[in-house]
Amino acid sequence: MAMEYYSGISDAMRITFVQVMILATIAIVIFLYGMYINLKKWGLGAEGYGQKPSKGSIFTFPKTLAYQLSEDGHGHKQNIIVTLVLDILLQRRIMRRSPLRWFMHITIFVGWMTLFLLSLLMFLVELLHMAHLGIGPEPAVFREFLGPINDLFSYILLTGIIIAIARRLFIPRMREATIAYDSILLGGLTLITVTGFIADGIRNGTFWGFGIEYPYAPPAALFHVIISLLFCIAYIPYSKYIHMIATPLTILANKGGE
Amino acid sequence: MVRDNPSITTENLTAVQLMEIDSCTRCGECVQWCPTYDARNQDPGLAPRDKILRWQEYMKKSYGLRARLFGPKQVPEEEIEQFKEDVFDCTTCGMCGTVCESGINTVELWEAMRANLVKRGNGPVGKQPMFVKLIGEYGNPYMADPKERLSWVPDDVKIEDKADILYFGGCTAELRQKKLAFATARVLNHLEIPFTMLGEDEQCCCSALVRTGQYEMEDIARRMARKNVDGIKAKGATKVLFACAGCYRTAKIDWPRLLGEELPFEVIHITEYLDKLIDEGKINWKQPFDNKTITYHDPCHLGRHVGVFEPPRKVLRSIPGLNFIEMDRIKENQRCCGAGGGVKAGIPDLALGVAETRVEDALAKSPDILSSACPFCKRNLCDGRDSVKAESLEVEDVIVLTAEALGIDLSDCEDQAR
Repeated sequence: MAMEYYSGISDAMRITFVQVMILATIAIVIFLYGMYINLKKWGLGAEGYGQKPSKGSIFTFPKTLAYQLSEDGHGHKQNIIVTLVLDILLQRRIMRRSPLRWFMHITIFVGWMTLFLLSLLMFLVELLHMAHLGIGPEPAVFREFLGPINDLFSYILLTGIIIAIARRLFIPRMREATIAYDSILLGGLTLITVTGFIADGIRNGTFWGFGIEYPYAPPAALFHVIISLLFCIAYIPYSKYIHMIATPLTILANKGGE
Repeated sequence: MVRDNPSITTENLTAVQLMEIDSCTRCGECVQWCPTYDARNQDPGLAPRDKILRWQEYMKKSYGLRARLFGPKQVPEEEIEQFKEDVFDCTTCGMCGTVCESGINTVELWEAMRANLVKRGNGPVGKQPMFVKLIGEYGNPYMADPKERLSWVPDDVKIEDKADILYFGGCTAELRQKKLAFATARVLNHLEIPFTMLGEDEQCCCSALVRTGQYEMEDIARRMARKNVDGIKAKGATKVLFACAGCYRTAKIDWPRLLGEELPFEVIHITEYLDKLIDEGKINWKQPFDNKTITYHDPCHLGRHVGVFEPPRKVLRSIPGLNFIEMDRIKENQRCCGAGGGVKAGIPDLALGVAETRVEDALAKSPDILSSACPFCKRNLCDGRDSVKAESLEVEDVIVLTAEALGIDLSDCEDQAR
């Protein structure tokens, strides 16, 4: 059967542009509200050492962060570019402590972020196509082009997740310290990845489809999209996913850390 | 409907620190390295990540989504009391911050939490509340008359009225471990470096107040810092030497914050100064040691907190007759001696437990001398040595060893080491 949908926005079958856009909007609204609450919460802190607490303005945190970034600080004055590249993108601090944990985290980070960006790119190509502007590649062709790249980064992500689960299950110290706060993060990540593999497998008739017939492909894709939007965006401010935002900011604020 | 007040406030925490609390990934690296967690038989409450998680929960209960919709959820008072115990059961050595994969500035965080809890009426612990009264009344934590500050000065030591270099002795060296002050003064005289001191006008650096969350109490820490800075300015000094790592850290990092201004002088640890003199070829060793093996313990306040790792090593390596060896955990990965963060005064058994482990680190390398560059480390390491019955291990400060290697006689010093 010819490919009838790509990133989930064609009118084919039961997965529609409108449905996805409504879901995406809801996810973004939930995310923004969560971030608003976090900014209000962080904004209850003082703007500097020894100062009185602020009153919860959403501008207090960015203002304090900007001040801290500009301050010379003590001990070291690491350049912001070095911090961004070595400590945030390449996650040097994790590498120093544990190469295995670094490999696990970097595979999840790279896989996750790349797939997210590729999905956005596919979404953009389909939008342009639907707008009949006559620019951008044909979605079908572009999807074929992205196929191997998507596969590569999906397996990179899966590798990281398998290591993360194995660590939580088989290292006693990790297993005993695991709480719901940690499990929800890993569970959500696993669910998104596995549903993505299955939806793609059904659509393309590969191993990951587990023999499920093609008519189930659109709902499987829709389910994957919903789960992804909820965990990838909406749930971030309310869970351990917040570290995706707070950790890079902390490393920046502390100029790469001690 | 009347809503409850939140159980906790955000006093003393900055907006960035509140964000840092949400950045913890619970990787557990801090737990692996925490010296007090180890010394307390891996009590889960002492794990740094657990403290962060608990504060995160308190914040959520007090200011999170549910609190916004339905009002704050109360945190039981017993829980906060237990939290206080756990936050104060910490030497603020900063090891957790060094290994933190999220780059959280944990030392600042623990100190901010302590100050917050103190304001709330929880803490400090043990004898720590006495610091406010003693330092406020006497200007030092030893209840000593300020006139005693220079009582150790022997007749041969020359202290200028004004000079470019000022030696800030610190309460412990001037009033207790006088050998340290003796050695520093005589070394400077021996090297013909004119220096001045604040004498009875010197005030406590207030490290104890800052570390135990009491720096805002009666505004003592700020007032003392002001007096010291003004006194140093009046002496005309542009370089201030510290032989105490605690005073050094406080002057370098905390005084500018307390006063909200840059210091008008350079803050230098004595080992940094000696390092420079060695480079300039101005030190001629006269009394070699008799082939002794020595190792060095990095004081947290000098090493991890500020980044001075090499100068003391360079001094020790340059002394003839000393065979310098390293312990396994050194520099930024060093294990704390256990005395910092007010723990020596507040929770002495914990301080001793940590010290024993550090002494065992040293004993694993079979040195004759365990040296450091901080009177608090020296005192606690001595206690640890006595506790593990390693009487043959000499514990001595770098500046004292320097004095001895320069042929300076310190036998006339009355050291009130404890």
